[in-house]
Amino acid sequence: MTKQSPKVGIYGFTGCAGDQLMILNCEDQLVDLFGATEIRSFLMAKSDNHEGELDVAFVEGSISTDHQEKKLIDIRARSKVLIAIGGCACVGGPQAMMVGDGKWEERFKKVYGNAKITVAKANEAKPLDAVVKVDMYIPGCPIDKTEFLSAVSKLVAGKHPYLYQFPVCNECRWKENPCILYAGKFCGGPLTKAGCGAICPTLGLPCVGCWGPTDDLNVSSEYQLLKEKGYDPDEIMKKLRKFGGAKLAELVKDIEKKGAKA
Amino acid sequence: MMILKMKKEDLSTFLDAVKEWGELWGPTKKDGKVSFSKVDSLSQMDLKATRTIIPPKKFLYPPRFTMFDFDENGYVERTGDVPKRILFGIHPCDIHGVVIMDKLFLETYNDPYYRERREKTLLLGHSCIPDDKCMCTATGTDFIAEGFDLFFTDLKMSYLVWVGSTKGHDLIRLKPELFSRALDKNDILNYTEYRKWKNTQYKTNLDFTGMPDIFELGYSSPVWDKLAEKCLSCGQCSMVCPTCNCYNVVDEVELGSIEGTRERFWDSCMFREYSLVAGGHNFRDKRADRLRLWYTHKLQAYIGEFGKPACVGCGRCVATCPVDINVVTVSQALKEQEVGK
Repeated sequence: MTKQSPKVGIYGFTGCAGDQLMILNCEDQLVDLFGATEIRSFLMAKSDNHEGELDVAFVEGSISTDHQEKKLIDIRARSKVLIAIGGCACVGGPQAMMVGDGKWEERFKKVYGNAKITVAKANEAKPLDAVVKVDMYIPGCPIDKTEFLSAVSKLVAGKHPYLYQFPVCNECRWKENPCILYAGKFCGGPLTKAGCGAICPTLGLPCVGCWGPTDDLNVSSEYQLLKEKGYDPDEIMKKLRKFGGAKLAELVKDIEKKGAKA
Repeated sequence: MMILKMKKEDLSTFLDAVKEWGELWGPTKKDGKVSFSKVDSLSQMDLKATRTIIPPKKFLYPPRFTMFDFDENGYVERTGDVPKRILFGIHPCDIHGVVIMDKLFLETYNDPYYRERREKTLLLGHSCIPDDKCMCTATGTDFIAEGFDLFFTDLKMSYLVWVGSTKGHDLIRLKPELFSRALDKNDILNYTEYRKWKNTQYKTNLDFTGMPDIFELGYSSPVWDKLAEKCLSCGQCSMVCPTCNCYNVVDEVELGSIEGTRERFWDSCMFREYSLVAGGHNFRDKRADRLRLWYTHKLQAYIGEFGKPACVGCGRCVATCPVDINVVTVSQALKEQEVGK
């Protein structure tokens, strides 16, 4: 490489570390990845880490302590581009499925009782963009190798990455699957970002929404449809919110209010 | 156009013989999936299947494909690696769909990727049995007179075979002994009877006359907003429609290099991203505007340009949209100014 390799940092906060693991799982391209970029910090992969100026920071996990919040603000301050990787970083992840219900402290007490937590002050889980500006989102639970490598390759080449913005249904039709939502099954495809290759519906399983909400979802119509198909309203809300995080919580506010009245 | 006669039991022999020209593809049914698949023989096909989930447009421009490879010196087209295919069992509506695609990709614009696949694909049509979602009588696509290479009409005891092109005729010449030109009075009576019978099979009665006017009159109708409340923006309607042809183009580069490929994949005007332009402006930000564009294009604008609708009445939108938005419900809603449940 004649030009200087971009300096990259890969970080993880609250999550299962599955997205970082997926990066390491890019076995065939790993040598190229470490060759084309200068990986300054990647705690999961190496011990010799340097925290300084970065061209790109990939950040996994939701933010659930004040300590993490500070660390994220620091990463943002020294990174030209900050990319959220995985559902937790993008929307809050499963740990944010009940976000905004006002019962977080109650749940915290149920788990930790009156134990004194000294490591850090815990907060309700939130996505990265609730704390800092995020330049790009690579969704998934975990992320998809192809999508990740596509984005990295373009960043290295100085191009703008492109990931599918449309819902799972599009890829699902490309696979020539019959629509299982049409057939009456609880499928979250229309609300969920594509990029997974519609793996679940292709295997006959409904989409659980692990790629997170699209930017243009019609959640009230999906909710109404599922209700008409005979699903229990509480069950619908639970399933829709499983991977929808803070973003879906905001969108379902009105439905929940109406539901409470009914 | 020449019409020949063939014994029903000879079809299998004929299809075995045409494999000399290219791969044989036909409708198959597996785990509820009806699709055009590569087959070895007639026995693997399901000729009773009404419609495949994806129309045959997938052969002429696949859902996602690589257009060319590029590096710092230029680009090399990925042409030449498309196999020669014979599609057997295509219904009249789908052939009409291909005829519309031909207009767009061969006449209006010359699309080299489409042209290559089209030239390497032979269409062997087959008569069909309409179901409750078919509405090709309303769109005038229940029979077909062009666009195919051969067309087989099943008259119970025998096939009448329309020869639609010289390529089709070349196939006949592979097994000329199976075909007869000796058509008699009974063949005419049987064919007339078949057409009458087919007409009685439709359950969806749709009247598309005056549709362009109704779309014009209903341009500002609140019906669009009501439909938009239901629309999931999932884009399925576009994927399954035989005449939806929009695509997106992106580059993929190899890690650490500037070599890469240019990829093309199916897109839909139902997606917000589709009408997003540089600077962040979106000229169809509202879902209602996108819905109106889709249906206006199919049932009004296209008629103005090409003289007939871009709906071929295949019923795929009826068999796919989870919230029941399709050419039937939308045209009804516009006429009655009310959105059905």
